[in-house]
Amino acid sequence: MAATVPAIDVSDISYSYGDTLAVDSVSFEVAAGEIFGLLGPNGAGKSTTVKMLTGQLRPSQGSIHILGMDSSVENTEIQARIGVCFEEKNLYSAMTGVENLKFFASLFGIKPLDPMPLLERVDLAARGGDKVSDYSKGMRQRLMMARALVNQPDVLFLDEPTDGLDPVSARTIQGIIREEAAGGTAVLLTTHDMYEADTLADRVAFINQGQILAMDAPESLKLQHGQRSVRIKARRADGQVEELAIPLDGVDAAAKVQRAMAELDLVTIHTEEATLEDVFVAYAGRGLDA
Amino acid sequence: MNLQRAWRVAARDFRLGPRSPIFVYAILLPVILSFLISAVFGGLLDPDPRLGIVDEGASALTAAAEEFEGIAVSVLDDVDDLRNKVTAHDFDAGLVLAADFDQRVQGGGEAELEFYVSGSSLASNRIVLAMAANELVSDVAGEEPPVTVSVVPVGDEDFVPIGDRLLPIVIFYAVVIAALFLPASSLLDEREKHTLDAILVTPTRIGEVLIGKGLLGVIMGVSLGLVSLALNQALANRPFEVMLFLLVGSLMMAELGLILGSLVKDANSLYTSIKGAGVFIALPVIFIIWPTLPQWIPKLTPTYYFLQPVYDIAITGLTIGDFWLELIVACGICVVLAPVVFRIGRRAEIRLAWAS
Repeated sequence: MAATVPAIDVSDISYSYGDTLAVDSVSFEVAAGEIFGLLGPNGAGKSTTVKMLTGQLRPSQGSIHILGMDSSVENTEIQARIGVCFEEKNLYSAMTGVENLKFFASLFGIKPLDPMPLLERVDLAARGGDKVSDYSKGMRQRLMMARALVNQPDVLFLDEPTDGLDPVSARTIQGIIREEAAGGTAVLLTTHDMYEADTLADRVAFINQGQILAMDAPESLKLQHGQRSVRIKARRADGQVEELAIPLDGVDAAAKVQRAMAELDLVTIHTEEATLEDVFVAYAGRGLDA
Repeated sequence: MNLQRAWRVAARDFRLGPRSPIFVYAILLPVILSFLISAVFGGLLDPDPRLGIVDEGASALTAAAEEFEGIAVSVLDDVDDLRNKVTAHDFDAGLVLAADFDQRVQGGGEAELEFYVSGSSLASNRIVLAMAANELVSDVAGEEPPVTVSVVPVGDEDFVPIGDRLLPIVIFYAVVIAALFLPASSLLDEREKHTLDAILVTPTRIGEVLIGKGLLGVIMGVSLGLVSLALNQALANRPFEVMLFLLVGSLMMAELGLILGSLVKDANSLYTSIKGAGVFIALPVIFIIWPTLPQWIPKLTPTYYFLQPVYDIAITGLTIGDFWLELIVACGICVVLAPVVFRIGRRAEIRLAWAS
């Protein structure tokens, strides 16, 4: 693949479920080695967009190129080079972790597969011989991640990969995502966890009602649309605690903070930055959990 | 279309089979039914086929028959006595050897051999005895025997033992449960648990998944059909012709199973559909058990076109030549169903993507 060709190139795609327009003229690009977050509430169109990218659905309009290949004509070739980690824990529960990995490797024509390096990477080496039905939720999600990597993909699609996981499992998966991106894999991450997107993604796109509302690096979005402030809790003369916020973006912000610290009986003082959630609300007029 | 990937899908189901209750049920049901029918109506645990001989000379065939493994030989003095005993089912068959039988056979002349068969004896026993008699005569003659064999049925000529008439039930369960139910439930399970989503984002196409599941049904249907026939000692007569009809029947059932597995909403709907269609697809079995019923009715069901030939070839001694039309119709049904399977499978794939 030429260095200039994006790993994922989506141009003006749409999809309708019957009369309901789920994705409306969406376009974006993801470069090799980039982690791209697709953020939005449930029903915003994230999963439908990913299904079109992974070949499960065909867009009713627009075009998708993965690794320079047109998905409408080279879907099988594309699927040989992508990895997908679903939100649904769709593993074979009657099979062991090793059997699951070997079966999916065989569908990619990889035979024989040594599953141990993958299992070690997701901290499941000691449990690889156990049936998946005996795995915890976190273990299943880690095995899903290992399965998505079984063909050493050039593009990874991850749908809510850490949703509902314990912190240890979540950190393991986030670590793997960073390693893969560092190795040149393009990662498309769909999530409604703004904190995860903020810490992991190089760029994010906000999607709502099937349309992309904004797309940029998390820091840029926060700087453009969020407010930084100092939030102070102080005790008044009558003993009551009052709270005030001093915006940091004003011209006399420093003076205001200095005066408050000198004159008030401070209880707590915190700096406060805008979150991606705040930015999303500014764009969409609704929160992610709405 | 990559058949290797289709085989990998089938191989996974085979490997997981012993862990699946439905798979184990499909294997055990015909075996248990065979044992039950054998235990109640005779067959599997019966002694060797019984042959009575009246030897009017001192034929070498009688001595050879007594040494022959796998049959029980009794020598009698009187032809009427032999006939009565075959009629009473004391023997499965009776053989009358003329005084000059050996001389005629060895001299290359025409010899007559009367072979009584009991209508009450199991077809398997009759077949074994007929083959044994032929082999013994060949031994005496030293070559293909110039013998005219007169088969004289005694007792009720049209009578077919109940053990034989129940055989289609075993074949029906073996083929329908294995070839129809296994692919249907396996495909539905993959849809319900969304493992099919995971397969379909690999280079594997829905058509390859359907072929893999179909292979599972066909291989299991043919294998269990053959095992059921063997357990019921009904495989000796033209096994390859029987296998051909089992193959076509299993393919037809697997296609119907794949259509069901693609269409039904959940396991309850699958069981309800199979129960609902059960009487229709089991009609040929009912009409074999009660042969006095009008025999044109089961021809309205697709299962007739393999169950009836399998039964008649295995039990009543007919040949594939008697069933060309049935074979053509069965193959035609398979050909018509194939594009329907793939079209409905593709629709199921889209519905799956919409639902998840």
